[in-house]
Amino acid sequence: MNNNMIRKVTGSEILIHWTLAISFFILVISGFGFLFHMESIGSAFGGFDQMRDIHNWVGVVFAVALFLTAFHYLPVALRFTSDDKAWLLQGGGYFSRKKAHVPPQDEINAAQKLLYLLVLLLGTAISVTGIVIWLRPGMAAANKLVLFSFLVHNISFDIFLMAIVAHIYFATLANPGTLRIMISGTVPLEWARKRHAKWVQKMGY
Amino acid sequence: MARMSILVSPELCIGCRGCQTACKEWNQLEGEKTENRGSTENPPDLSTNTFNKIRYVELPSEKNPTRLLFVSQRCMHCGDAGCMKICPAPGALFRTEEGAVAFDKDKCIGCRLCVTACPFDVPRYDAKNKISKCHLCADRISQGLVPACAKTCPTGALRYGDRNELLGLAKKAGYAKVYGEKDLEGLGAVYAFTDAPKIYGMDESPGIPEAVVFWDNVLKPLSYLGLAGVAAAAVFHYVAFGPKKYEEEKKDE
Repeated sequence: MNNNMIRKVTGSEILIHWTLAISFFILVISGFGFLFHMESIGSAFGGFDQMRDIHNWVGVVFAVALFLTAFHYLPVALRFTSDDKAWLLQGGGYFSRKKAHVPPQDEINAAQKLLYLLVLLLGTAISVTGIVIWLRPGMAAANKLVLFSFLVHNISFDIFLMAIVAHIYFATLANPGTLRIMISGTVPLEWARKRHAKWVQKMGY
Repeated sequence: MARMSILVSPELCIGCRGCQTACKEWNQLEGEKTENRGSTENPPDLSTNTFNKIRYVELPSEKNPTRLLFVSQRCMHCGDAGCMKICPAPGALFRTEEGAVAFDKDKCIGCRLCVTACPFDVPRYDAKNKISKCHLCADRISQGLVPACAKTCPTGALRYGDRNELLGLAKKAGYAKVYGEKDLEGLGAVYAFTDAPKIYGMDESPGIPEAVVFWDNVLKPLSYLGLAGVAAAAVFHYVAFGPKKYEEEKKDE
């Protein structure tokens, strides 16, 4: 039974996940290059001029990939049940050295739902404001809109980055065996039963 | 070296606009075709080919029906320059030894963020999408020469020199308001006014937009402090609680 593997995510979901992840890292690194005038990063991108183009167009890739996630994950994340609330109130079982006895979870757990909503919200904000900053008209009349966008772009970026560091921790060290979901797409049935009981039941495994 | 600046005294200006012509000549800026707008003020605004211009302010009153103010408009070379703060390309905007805010078109990436951060609406972009503005004739002053505008001014309405000396001069002459002495850590173009700055078309208390200041003071450091903070919290959690355990590990115990 333990060796019985089931499919947790599809190939296209894996592709979209890593498209988002890689574009995100390129955007963060180039973004830090701009923020702190890092000459070494600038030259790694072939100069600041080219880094600007790469930052903008990779941003488009990021925005499109993010948009594609919404079809499947937005309805899932918006289905917030009393089990989710109880799960959160228990801190997901993360704040105890003992074994977790947490309420049964859906395809993604309560924290993952919140993370997804945060990523979608901030990612959309970053994308839209990024386009405003990119395509702004030169005249001073557009300054207010560009300044507002600049502010939202940077606030969203700061929070997004913190959320992603947490996401990486929870998907690796904090939950051994989770990363394979985004590599092979499959997990042992027993593993899934413990973590996504409601989903396993719904799928009829 | 001592900070250098321009002292503008509108009351001494006769509106000849020799400064505009001299600027164009030295910086090899093309002339602009403009329309008659019913004023001798021309061109109407700063542009990629107009680094400085005289603003004509008509102030007719009963006492003086023909009062005209001529105010030199240019980059103010702020001590705390919003454009330099927000610019993402190192070296595109830089401060010269004399204190001028100069630019390097080769390093400009054409993002136009400086336009949003300038308190005086100065930066303009040329056809190649590169910044252009007054640079206090950085190439002249580095050689000990006077900027073209001040060099040509026949009345002393534009004077170039040691900033402190110019400020002292303006105060000694008894002007009501020396504009730009303290604003933005001191402007590199200071004005000797006999009236409220507003009348000359100047902002009473110019400042870098609050969004830019907040970004610089809070959001920029938060980008790496937040990253480090969450990473540290993760390490702490891993040490304090370790990875999550489920029932399936029962048999290991």
